[in-house]
Amino acid sequence: MSRYSKTNTTVFYTILIVLCMLSLGPIILMLLTSLKLKIDIFNDVSTFFFVPTLKNYRSVINDPSLMRYLGNSLYVGLISTITTLVMGCMAAYAIVRFRFMGRDVVSLTTLLMRMVPPAVLTVPVFGIWTFQYNLGNSLNGLILAYVAINLPFVVWILQSFIQQVPIQLEEAARVDGANPFQVFFLVVIPVIKPGLAAAAIFTFRIAWNEFILALVLTNRATRTTPVNISLFLTEHNIDWGRLMAMGMLIAIPPIIFTFVASKQIITGMTAGAVKG
Amino acid sequence: MPQIVLQNIKKSFGAVTVVENLNLTMAANEFTVLVGPSGCGKSTILRMIAGLEALTAGEILIDGKPVAHLEPKDRDIAMVFQDYALYPHMNVARNMSFALRLANYPKKEIESRVKKVADMLGIESLLARKPAQLSGGQRQRVAMGRALVRDASTFLFDEPLSNLDAKLRTQMRAELALMRRRLEKNMIYVTHDQVEAMTLGDRIVVLRNGAIQQQGSAEQLYKTPVNKFVAGFLGSPPMNFFDGTLGETDGRLAVSGQDYHLPLPDAMRARVGGLKDDKVIVGIRPSAFTIANGDPAAGIRLDLPVVLPEYIGSQSVIVSRLGGQQIQIEVSSDTPLGDNATLTFTLDPRSVYLFNPHTEATL
Repeated sequence: MSRYSKTNTTVFYTILIVLCMLSLGPIILMLLTSLKLKIDIFNDVSTFFFVPTLKNYRSVINDPSLMRYLGNSLYVGLISTITTLVMGCMAAYAIVRFRFMGRDVVSLTTLLMRMVPPAVLTVPVFGIWTFQYNLGNSLNGLILAYVAINLPFVVWILQSFIQQVPIQLEEAARVDGANPFQVFFLVVIPVIKPGLAAAAIFTFRIAWNEFILALVLTNRATRTTPVNISLFLTEHNIDWGRLMAMGMLIAIPPIIFTFVASKQIITGMTAGAVKG
Repeated sequence: MPQIVLQNIKKSFGAVTVVENLNLTMAANEFTVLVGPSGCGKSTILRMIAGLEALTAGEILIDGKPVAHLEPKDRDIAMVFQDYALYPHMNVARNMSFALRLANYPKKEIESRVKKVADMLGIESLLARKPAQLSGGQRQRVAMGRALVRDASTFLFDEPLSNLDAKLRTQMRAELALMRRRLEKNMIYVTHDQVEAMTLGDRIVVLRNGAIQQQGSAEQLYKTPVNKFVAGFLGSPPMNFFDGTLGETDGRLAVSGQDYHLPLPDAMRARVGGLKDDKVIVGIRPSAFTIANGDPAAGIRLDLPVVLPEYIGSQSVIVSRLGGQQIQIEVSSDTPLGDNATLTFTLDPRSVYLFNPHTEATL
């Protein structure tokens, strides 16, 4: 019996270690490369043994354009997340609670939008944004695109959270004198906070990492960080050290965001509301 | 203080009509209990009064003012829900003060009202807790408290005790009964539990399939039920029913069946006159039987078999047979009961109810 469980544990840990290496490997490689001088990067001997340097970080941080691009990314990420959540929770609430024609169709087809890869949208979006609405090269145009891409998923994920809010809570609030907006903002929204947090993490990271749309919809001034990094790859030179240092740095905001948001994801939010 | 009138109210869900042409008048400050089996429309009626369910037809008047078109918040009502419906993200104090905060009461007054009601319900030590940290009974109190701080003119209770265990339910029922004496408010209480209905209600309204069967005080309903349904619904254990045939014995009216013969009081004669034939349904309450003590004047003597004695503490319920039916008889628990014994009971002829087998109306 104990022999059996011992093999079991061994297998379990082996799988765990392999999975960890798969996910951590690229990050470790990125970290190591970002701490190397160019000569060490291309030297096979010094894969693990080298004198670490912060030269790459210094160079990236001292680049005056970096702050602007980081700022662009943050602005686009936060504004598109907030917009998506505000619109998404209202739409999801309407789909779950209101009776109107085509409700089920709307509910089922929202996700279809997500099945279209952003790359397919690139050319039409570029054309429409630039030539029809003059939204090209502006951050607002990019925000609009991200809201459109993320909204269906957010509506879908929030629907299931709103469905779990006991209807009696809303009825109790109505009897207590709340108007429909107060019911929504004072009762429903606080109860679906975990759902909002999950959706926020999702939308922020998509907006933060998205590359193709950002590439075609921005210019020198409105570029976001992923686009900026890609410019480190040039015809003549690939500056791996700076590239990796930049990669490490731009991973930090989403990590912070995820930690803050996931604090809100506590299970059993509706515990104690109604008799289970 | 208003009086509540339901005028010809009707409610349909699609093709299904739950309540049709219901009329009900509740006097000011009355404790009205709507009671009936599940699916009889009692909760729907309450929800229509609350404004949570729209009327298909009819009108509701509170203090002479039509309210059917008003939102719940404009009806001056407070409601206690069956499943408590406490706001899980607010602590007890904030749950209780929610309505007052919405109505922009001054902070001082909110605090004093919450404190007063919390004291009354014995939950002052729980004010800082979230609903998830409360037991079922405590949640029920908070739900009650949330309604009571409102000072509304009408309080609605939707089976508030049905989720509590038996002991807690009895305790809360007693507290409710005490509370209703202190509060001069209209109260409408929905339950399927006839004990709750009888102990709490000034006016008990017995419903079946969306129609009122009978309304009145507990005593009226228990002693003079208008039909078989009301007779069978109120009282625990329920009334025994079996078939009988009317006849005459020595010039006296009597009802008899395959294994019994019960002489009836003369007053009954006039009431059975309108029957088409001599078939009736006989109803006798389990408590109407008493163990015979040898006094021949005590009433009708019946020898009944003991099929199954059930000891339930202060009383025993004997399952026996009469008129080809299983019947229940309530006796004091110190009555000696042997297996398969036959006991002799006496029965007052005035405690025999007769029902029309076609309309089920009391004769």
